[in-house]
Amino acid sequence: MAKVLEVNHLVATFAIAKKEYQVLRDLSFYVDRGETLCIVGESGCGKSVTTLAVMDLLPNNGRIVSGSIKLNDTELVGMSKKERAGYRGSHMGMVFQEPMTALNPLLTIGQQLTESIILHRKVNKKEAYDIAIEYMKKVGMSNPEERMKQYPFQLSGGLRQRVLIAMVVSVNPELLIADEPTTALDVTIQKQVLQIIHKLKKEMDAGVLFITHDLGVVAEIADRVIVLYSGKKVEEGRVTDIFDHPRHPYTIGLLNAVPNVDLDTFEIKPIPGTFPSLTDDIKGCRFNPRCVFATERCRSEVPGETIVGDGHVAACFKVEEEENERNK
Amino acid sequence: MNGTSEKKVILQLRKLKKNFPIKRGVLLRALNDVSFSIYEGEKFGVVGESGCGKSTLGRVILQLYKQTSGSCVYYGKSFEDINPAYVKKEIAKLPEYQKKAGEYYNKSVKIDLKISELENQKASFDADGNSKDAKKQDKISKKIDLLSYRSKELKKNASRQLREGSRTVGSLILCRNIKEIQTLFQQSYAHTTKVHNLLEEMKKADANYQESIVESGTPKTETSRKKSVALKAKLTQLEENAAKSREKARELRAKAFVHRNTDILAITELTHQQEYRAKLDNNYESGINLSKLTNREMRPIRKEMQMIFQDPAASLDPRQSIGSAIEEVFKINSEYSRDVRREKTMELLEKVGLKREYYYSFPHVLSGGQKQRVGIARAIALNTNFVVLDEAVSALDVSVQAQVLQLLQDLSDEYHLTYFFITHDLGVVKHFCDRILVMYLGNTCELGNSKDLFSTPLHPYTKSLLASVPRPTVHRDREMDEVLQGEVPSATNPPKGCPFHTRCTSCMEVCQSVRPTYTEALPNHFVACHLFPNQGENNHEV
Repeated sequence: MAKVLEVNHLVATFAIAKKEYQVLRDLSFYVDRGETLCIVGESGCGKSVTTLAVMDLLPNNGRIVSGSIKLNDTELVGMSKKERAGYRGSHMGMVFQEPMTALNPLLTIGQQLTESIILHRKVNKKEAYDIAIEYMKKVGMSNPEERMKQYPFQLSGGLRQRVLIAMVVSVNPELLIADEPTTALDVTIQKQVLQIIHKLKKEMDAGVLFITHDLGVVAEIADRVIVLYSGKKVEEGRVTDIFDHPRHPYTIGLLNAVPNVDLDTFEIKPIPGTFPSLTDDIKGCRFNPRCVFATERCRSEVPGETIVGDGHVAACFKVEEEENERNK
Repeated sequence: MNGTSEKKVILQLRKLKKNFPIKRGVLLRALNDVSFSIYEGEKFGVVGESGCGKSTLGRVILQLYKQTSGSCVYYGKSFEDINPAYVKKEIAKLPEYQKKAGEYYNKSVKIDLKISELENQKASFDADGNSKDAKKQDKISKKIDLLSYRSKELKKNASRQLREGSRTVGSLILCRNIKEIQTLFQQSYAHTTKVHNLLEEMKKADANYQESIVESGTPKTETSRKKSVALKAKLTQLEENAAKSREKARELRAKAFVHRNTDILAITELTHQQEYRAKLDNNYESGINLSKLTNREMRPIRKEMQMIFQDPAASLDPRQSIGSAIEEVFKINSEYSRDVRREKTMELLEKVGLKREYYYSFPHVLSGGQKQRVGIARAIALNTNFVVLDEAVSALDVSVQAQVLQLLQDLSDEYHLTYFFITHDLGVVKHFCDRILVMYLGNTCELGNSKDLFSTPLHPYTKSLLASVPRPTVHRDREMDEVLQGEVPSATNPPKGCPFHTRCTSCMEVCQSVRPTYTEALPNHFVACHLFPNQGENNHEV
């Protein structure tokens, strides 16, 4: 399978009070064609920053220090602003969490939908309108002609999110980035939207980079999963690896903390401590203050990635030792 | 947690309605005839999609919104503690209720007579069928429609009057000698008021007494010891008086209730039915009807009923230190000195798992979970009984969410708190709450123990809600199962019949026209759905 997006050793920083702090620490991952990669983690772990870095939408105080981002083998880091803008929107599209803030309240749905189609697909207004209608139907909107004339405030949250998805996929992007697209929606609507994304991905054969904090959503939609903690990838693997055989203590803790509807008994098992702030200076593994297995080594050295299975990687000394033990 | 009948009810809602006027003639029906009881020490969960009225319900219970109709009765305090003014007024109104009910009913009877007359007329036309007659017939049937509507309304008004009256006296409202009953109740209530005053006095006396002990420790001077002894004597005296008055109040009430079921007026056709009278008796409120309290009377109850909000950052002032934010509660509601207040605040901080040092910090230093802990500390600072948690853990990350849930669990065990837990996360309610209410568009759909609700969901909405929860387990079969289609209809124009019929997969004809009643389909498991027809006895609808 061809890699749509390849990110290698990406380091991004934010400048706060004239000091630079790392938000992404040596992050590497890839997205294949027709695959959904989920990045999961708690708020502040750098999930959204990753997508912003890929889209080149980092805030003014943020910058990419090193590493590469390749879209279909084209290096994006170091491109000029103008060149980059050509890629953004036409080759990769992004769906944001809050659909109301992403839509212009003063323009009708139709105006907003056709605008990007005219711009990126180089068609006239009439053709753009037809394409827009076609995609409105694809995302499951009833009577799209009516909807095209309406304003965002007339739509419910679920419908707005559908409009955004239609807007993004109507230009046939190779990469679809979805940043918590269903967090603001109710469960029944969430399920509908997830199905749409799943269906469209198959149809377009595009790669999907899906950001969420909800492990339930991950299990539903992901092919592969990356668990991010404080800007560092702690575990990566296929969705079955992560959910059935999690290795990193953080992943295990996270899975245990989710109240599962299907289980009859559930003991609340929180991860102790709080998520480190960007500005916290933690030596060694970023997770060590909250980890029950933390040793002296964890407090001084940063663990490397240990391969524990086919495409299943964990960054933890405990896992490394376990693997060494097994290989002996 | 077995046998709900043994548990004490702390809050009872009856046919609670809340409408928000949007513009002239347009109402947003946020709550529609919500009735249920919450037991003491229980964790009561409410789930539903956004816009189903769960937050409104929480706020109406705390009287942050005034309800449109229905009642919300609180049993955590007695009349003696509060001495609400509304009881006196209600007692004074008793004969009026009775009279009005009679008037309305008589009017409706007259109209009924007219209707039957018109019907006879109409029948006489039926015999021959020329076109002129058909027109007249049309006219008459229109008139009949109008009149029967009026008579129905009048009957409704009549029973409404009786219902209002029955809140204070039960089925006694039907008795002929309502005047006598009224005086008995008035006398009884006068005693209750006396008890209330005595209790207030006792509080002061007790404070004085405690002070006198502390001052003297082992009394140094003869005078201070004498003073202390005198205060103690006064205290016991007051206590005795209070007990006497309480007893008298009870006696008088019992005397009034002797009249029950005797000499009943035929106010409406229902009055001689045993069931109807039982219904009225059931209406009798021994608790405090929160909707009728004045703001001043509500204050002592507010101390016991607290709320924790979703966004912890929004409920804290960024310019106020954590310590003073919590201390404010004591400043307003207690008479502790400054040092005591600070000590109490720090103890509270420790109790909710924060360091004492945070007393001096400002909110921006804390993470989301820690801020929520401050919110919890504020809610339990006073002698809290009942806490409304409006999506209290929804904004938190999973690992922190579990921590906060753990804390809430521990606090409820320690202080015997009753939680009213509003959330959209079914996973959380399942494992945190004892009983769960499912709401849809301002209506109650299903209420049951969390185990029953999840193992045998009855209402189709509950089923589809459960089906759409994302689960943290990978199903190998990726072709996702059926999903609930469509969206929640607008509450300004709710569907006729069952509110859920527009999205329901097992929708029948009856669902489109008739609203299902709320019935006990299984023991302690209530559901409002036509799939589960009313099984005769229905004790929840009053």
